[in-house]
Amino acid sequence: MSGLSDLRLGFIPLTDCAPLAAAQALGFFEEEGLNVELVREASWATIRDKVAVGLLDGAHMLAPMALSATMSAGAGGEGAILAPMALNQNGSAVTVSIALAEAIRAVDPDALARTPVTAAPLAKVIADRRARGQGPLTFAVVFPYSMHNYLLRYWLAQGGIDPDRDVRLVVIPPPRMVEQMRAGAIDGFCVGAPWNVVAETGGVGRILIAASQFWPGGPDKVLGVTTELATQRPDELRACLRAVMRAAAWADEAENRETLIELLARPDRIGAPPAAIGRALESEIVFHRDAAGLPRREHGLWFLSQMTRWGQIGSEHDLQALVDRVYRPELYREAALSLGPILEPALAFADAAGPAEARLFDGRAFDPQAARAYAAAFDIHRAPV
Amino acid sequence: MRVLVIDPDTARAALVAQGLEGVQPLEVRRSAVYDEAEVMAFAPDVVVIAAESPDRDTLDSLQESSQGHPVVMFVDRSEPGLAEQAVRAGVAAYVVDGLAPNRVRSILDVAMSRFALTQQLRGDLAKAKADLESRKTVERAKGLLMKERGLDEDGAYRLLRKLAMDRGKPIGAVAADLLAFAGVLKGDGA
Repeated sequence: MSGLSDLRLGFIPLTDCAPLAAAQALGFFEEEGLNVELVREASWATIRDKVAVGLLDGAHMLAPMALSATMSAGAGGEGAILAPMALNQNGSAVTVSIALAEAIRAVDPDALARTPVTAAPLAKVIADRRARGQGPLTFAVVFPYSMHNYLLRYWLAQGGIDPDRDVRLVVIPPPRMVEQMRAGAIDGFCVGAPWNVVAETGGVGRILIAASQFWPGGPDKVLGVTTELATQRPDELRACLRAVMRAAAWADEAENRETLIELLARPDRIGAPPAAIGRALESEIVFHRDAAGLPRREHGLWFLSQMTRWGQIGSEHDLQALVDRVYRPELYREAALSLGPILEPALAFADAAGPAEARLFDGRAFDPQAARAYAAAFDIHRAPV
Repeated sequence: MRVLVIDPDTARAALVAQGLEGVQPLEVRRSAVYDEAEVMAFAPDVVVIAAESPDRDTLDSLQESSQGHPVVMFVDRSEPGLAEQAVRAGVAAYVVDGLAPNRVRSILDVAMSRFALTQQLRGDLAKAKADLESRKTVERAKGLLMKERGLDEDGAYRLLRKLAMDRGKPIGAVAADLLAFAGVLKGDGA
């Protein structure tokens, strides 16, 4: 009997599990009165199922997954998942095989030198392949409801490539991306850190665009929790959020980086080379700064716009109501305020944080109030007209 | 029956094979990971996967595509509610370790018939949704014609139907074209 409350939290071996791993390693959970068991899971589907039925109280989760799980929740709300906190901004990237990078360079020698790299030269490569009667290129993402899927699709389509017709899209678990590319089974992928850098340093692939270039400050993972934790055990949820917030702030600090890398590289966390983990932490991923932890409803609406754009959802959902139900910035703020000066005070208040300027790399503006119109206004989309 | 067991461990594949003894013809193949080319070539009737396999995400993503298979999941121990949730998420059936071999066959049979039923329901639902969208599109196109051409509702519908017959296209498609062109004239998507 420790007198601590028990919580079970799941994670997938990726760099952005850092706030959870650090909160555990630094003893922040215990200081908040929690006895947390961190459970490493092998697939996002298992994370979703276990949180949905309460076998995990919460987990490191793909933000769109919380939305899609809640959309298919039962009539009594069973299976609904809440997002009271975002775990990070950015961290993913699009990587292509060395052979494909060379093919792109062959049609446009400067293609990879420009920032950001667009998919237009890749469209030319695809057209040339088609003219020669070669099969479609294969790209992999980690899950259909993921930032990675939407980032890759957006980027391809912006370059004139229809992600459903001009390439083949498959789902592959993150730790297996690099070996699949090395084996020639896939030509490109979009995955979270550290796997893009692992591919590049291993001479297997070349990073074309990082999420921070695609959408500076763009969303990625959330802490997804059960409705039961939020409604029946609000004190424990607040304690959990406080611990993870403190860990996120700690993980952002350059002076803690070596310790963090060492922690994440362990085989029971990510199990990847420390050097590969370090790069994304230096310049890509933000855990806490700039209110990165605030689960912004604008981000949720952007995900729903992309689900609409690619035909994953029809017009049957009230998008705003769904986002309001899943994204819970008020829980984040309440926990942050109770913690004292960890958050810049202005950011703790809804109207002071300012709208998330969703300016993607192509400069197109996103109006959260018009997510459906935005989805249907792209040249390439599957949204109902 | 062709069964693919995705599991680094050989024990479960052996259990499946033992449980299906007597089924003719039968081919049980084991693979440590999901390999797309291999799966396509083998064309299994049912896939058995360990719950702790990362490949679950790949199978999960195939549920809504034509490449989907009935999926049976092996779990180490029974955890309350997980089976129902996994089934709701598209897994056709699940098996708790320590299963008696003589039950394997009935579980696989249930998985296959449940999968066939789900596929059919999914197809029906997709068609119902498409019909509804088409009806909405026709309504909007009618509204546009009424406004722009000063027609009454009947007149607008007759015009749409005539356009559809002249072009040999479904009325929903003609309505969608009309709306798209109207959008272009107003400057959308230019």
